[in-house]
Amino acid sequence: MAVKEAVKDTEAKTAADGGTLIGKRIPKMDAPMKASGKTRYIHDINLPGQLHAKILRSARVHARIKKIDTSKAKALPGVHAVITAADVPNQHPIGVAKDHLPLKTDRVRSLRDEIAAVAADSVEIAEEALKLIEVEYEDLPILSDPRDSLKANAPLIHPEPHGADGTHDHLKQGMPIAYTGKKDNIAMTFDYAQGDMAQGKAESDIIVEDCFSLHYVTHCCMGVSGVIAEFDSSGNLLLYSNTQVPFLHRREFADLLGIDPGRIRIIQPPIGGGFGSKLDIYPFEPIAIYLARITKRPVKLVFSREEEFVASPTRQPVLLRLRSGCKKDGTLTFREVDTIHDNGAYTSWGATTPFVMMQTISSLYRVPHCSYHTKAVYTNNPYAGSFRGYGNLQATFAVEAHMDRMAEAVGMDPLAFRLKNAQEPGEVTPQGMNFKSCGFKDCLTTAAEHGDYERKHRDNATKWNDPNPIKRGVGMASMLHVGGGAKIYQSDGCGTILKIDDFAHVTLITGASEIGQGSETVLSQLVCEELGLPLSAVTVVNNDTDITPWDVGVHASRTTFIAGNSAIGAARKAKSKILGMAAAKFDTTAEALDLRGGFVIDKASGKRLVDLSKMIRSLHFSDKAELVMTTFYYEPPSRHQDREFKGDVSAAYAWASQVIEVEVDTKTGIVKIVKVSAAHDVGRVLNRLGIEGQVEGGIVMGQGYALTEDLMVENGTIRNPNFRDYKLVTAPEIPEMDISFIESMDGEGPQGAKGVGEAPAICVAAAVANAIYNATGVRMTELPFTPERVYRALHGKAAPMTWSDAE
Amino acid sequence: MSTIQHYAAPRSLEEAADLLRQGNVTVLAGGTDLMPQSKAGKLKFQPVLMNIRNVEGLRGLTETGGVLRIGATTTITDLYDSDLVKSRLAALWQACDHFASDQIRNAGTIGGNICNASPAGDTLVPLLVLNARVVLAAKPNGALTQRVVPLREFFVGPGKVRREPSELVAAVEIDMPPPGFVSAFFKFGTRPALDISTISIGFGAVYEGGKLRDVRVAFGAVAPTPIRAPHVEAALEGKPLNEETIVAACDAAGQDARPISDVRASDWYRREMVRNMLERMLNNVRNG
Repeated sequence: MAVKEAVKDTEAKTAADGGTLIGKRIPKMDAPMKASGKTRYIHDINLPGQLHAKILRSARVHARIKKIDTSKAKALPGVHAVITAADVPNQHPIGVAKDHLPLKTDRVRSLRDEIAAVAADSVEIAEEALKLIEVEYEDLPILSDPRDSLKANAPLIHPEPHGADGTHDHLKQGMPIAYTGKKDNIAMTFDYAQGDMAQGKAESDIIVEDCFSLHYVTHCCMGVSGVIAEFDSSGNLLLYSNTQVPFLHRREFADLLGIDPGRIRIIQPPIGGGFGSKLDIYPFEPIAIYLARITKRPVKLVFSREEEFVASPTRQPVLLRLRSGCKKDGTLTFREVDTIHDNGAYTSWGATTPFVMMQTISSLYRVPHCSYHTKAVYTNNPYAGSFRGYGNLQATFAVEAHMDRMAEAVGMDPLAFRLKNAQEPGEVTPQGMNFKSCGFKDCLTTAAEHGDYERKHRDNATKWNDPNPIKRGVGMASMLHVGGGAKIYQSDGCGTILKIDDFAHVTLITGASEIGQGSETVLSQLVCEELGLPLSAVTVVNNDTDITPWDVGVHASRTTFIAGNSAIGAARKAKSKILGMAAAKFDTTAEALDLRGGFVIDKASGKRLVDLSKMIRSLHFSDKAELVMTTFYYEPPSRHQDREFKGDVSAAYAWASQVIEVEVDTKTGIVKIVKVSAAHDVGRVLNRLGIEGQVEGGIVMGQGYALTEDLMVENGTIRNPNFRDYKLVTAPEIPEMDISFIESMDGEGPQGAKGVGEAPAICVAAAVANAIYNATGVRMTELPFTPERVYRALHGKAAPMTWSDAE
Repeated sequence: MSTIQHYAAPRSLEEAADLLRQGNVTVLAGGTDLMPQSKAGKLKFQPVLMNIRNVEGLRGLTETGGVLRIGATTTITDLYDSDLVKSRLAALWQACDHFASDQIRNAGTIGGNICNASPAGDTLVPLLVLNARVVLAAKPNGALTQRVVPLREFFVGPGKVRREPSELVAAVEIDMPPPGFVSAFFKFGTRPALDISTISIGFGAVYEGGKLRDVRVAFGAVAPTPIRAPHVEAALEGKPLNEETIVAACDAAGQDARPISDVRASDWYRREMVRNMLERMLNNVRNG
């Protein structure tokens, strides 16, 4: 109730006046519970009879497993089950390339590899049991650099066939890599081309080449990974899960168990952050399910923080070479990109980031001729998943740092050079993206103006040789990202069920998951806007696959756009039903009526005809006894990429430019962000408070990527799996932010809005790199810009990456 | 699983010393180092866990006859809030200002910071500059005794100090610095809060008539323990604080600092930072 009270104060007046809720500052509906510590996360849920599970991970980076002895662990009082691969003979490979068995059979390929698992009466007993499991290893050579994995005669990471039963039997053609093995260390390749590269090169007056190295970072969700699995007496599975994709998971777990997906129910407790980390299945989930099946008890498995660092996915690390040309007047001619993606030991979503990277390469600016090549290469390192921005932080870092280098080479101001090549509304790019709404040029000029870019950029560069060791610099970067869903799966749709009760209270049942991004609030707002009700009149149900309609999941900045359109569709159906009934009652047409301020009104005069709840109650006793319940399904008008990666995967595209001002202490290498001037084309602002939060949070995440966060992986080992040494940005480091919203009013968007979830994190690293150059004349190409790395570069002691290493 | 069999919360120093004499005791004060270390498996609890936060007279600052006594369970926040520390022991106050976070400062104690003996321990560097002494209490023969050790001699290595298992660090003593004494602390880390020093520098001297005397310089995180920097001190003692002196002092720093490479920084970078930041600090003193 407290939630509703808080919200009520904010906008009750607006709604009562019949005014709009769109663009208002509306507190998140779940905020009071979270702020008061009353939200019940998965950690707080305990089921009767529940056991606690812990996983034994590999002690070696790459090794053969010679022998596992679990007898002592099994004998420990309080232990209910100890399992290894041998106890689960028909494991189902998981992950994007199906190269990953939840429990490892004869080989471990990284330090996160799961060897055994225990279910016990308490977490402490389970941990004690892990120490009693004896594993005999035979070490294998470690591959920790993808360039080494590509060398001829490099050891193979997924070599010979090894069935789940440890034998070569039962192997069929076309079976997953987990069973059949692979003859090289290349997990995936991506090759894209448009235009005629030879022509592009011939037309170029200037060609610039750069190499970039992008590091590991990880999501650091406040809520660590966890799941509770329970089977009922009929063998139906109930999962309490933090997943971002409950409906996709239902299908995968059904395959894994060989049962009908309808027998799996997934309930999502409030999720303590996702950022893309919860889009794939990870071994801990099947392991909890196996343990629940074997013990016939609910099994809870929650990571420790150290485990979260070691065994949850990372952002995709990338080595990237970028070469582009332009004419003397600054017109871009061609762009050529090669990347090596460190795939780690198994393939998750990180390997597929080229889908997004090539869009930035081909379509952020008008580039007639393009080629793009990625090799995702197996190593014994951690593997990457999806992470807010999905490859676009990497691609944008490279492209936008490179754009500044090109502007300098051609003798143009970086802003003018970008404006010359920027996309405009109505363009269809050679890759097939259709920019129906596009505020890119407005973003560029707005951010530049708010950040006083041109003047500062000119002045700073004259002070490189000043005696003052503290330098100032400004840099800019821009981005393009999907803003109207992303057609990755067969469908990118979302269903809504909307119920209005006798008191005109709305229950909005949506497939869209809430992971802290504010979807409950914005969806309620969109529904209220249609029905003329205050936000306090809505309850959202969004976390139970047995109740909610289908949705593909929270990813690709899609929820406001897709689920929003779906919610609006349901609300409009309900509205037309109500107005139809009211028209009959007042002997007029539905078109002459509207819903505002909780009343049915006469549209022309604005006169209140009847209280909505009263009207609905009167229907209760009418001969038709109408209950207002509607269902609606929205599938965006986007188009899959074809085999050549050409298509229009999103119904709308989002744009942004950020101008970032930094202070560089040349005596320490410390880079401080002083101010961020951000301009985002968001289509339209729906919840101003919510969108400001999204942009501010995204900028801080981008700041961590640029300056402080670094998951240090050496020889397959993470050196800093803790918050002491993995440096998240803290409050005093957060810069001044000046955020502008460009409202391009997208024709397909809900009330004109486009997605914004990922966008704000994307530009930061490139803008900071450009600002450091503007401050010092030194170009940083390797992330993150930690004090020591910057100091070395300033003193000519950095060895920049060259591509020859990678060939 | 925990190996703790008894929990004790003595109210007097006598009682605490009695318990220590019986042996097998882990001493708990603020717990801000103890608990993470035990969770990480780096520290094994003894059968007796003794919480000394209730020991009377162990918390607070008292100045008598030019000697300041800081009780072992005085928190970092207590020091930070002390007008005396702020006005007369600037280096110590600045170290408290840069110490971890509010929550940790509220719990963490000066005695704990000393016994944890981290090479990067924030209060240790200014305490070395202030020539602090450690007061150890024990009850070897049924009567409470005290032993006083200069802090400089107290540290043996990372996490290792010259405290007998039967002894309790009861207090730190500081001779209040002479008139005209200026001091400063510089902590270099990657962020302003919640960070472990990459290097730290403490400086103190009487600065009169453009010259330095009674110079004391200490470094953190450049050796197995926090250290005094005798070469730097020699280069500054009695000298006019000019460009030439500053260059000589920075050159000398290379002889005192013996850093290693670790997850936070390389040894090369640490040497560079000691030099650059010492230069910056001395220039700040020079420019008032």
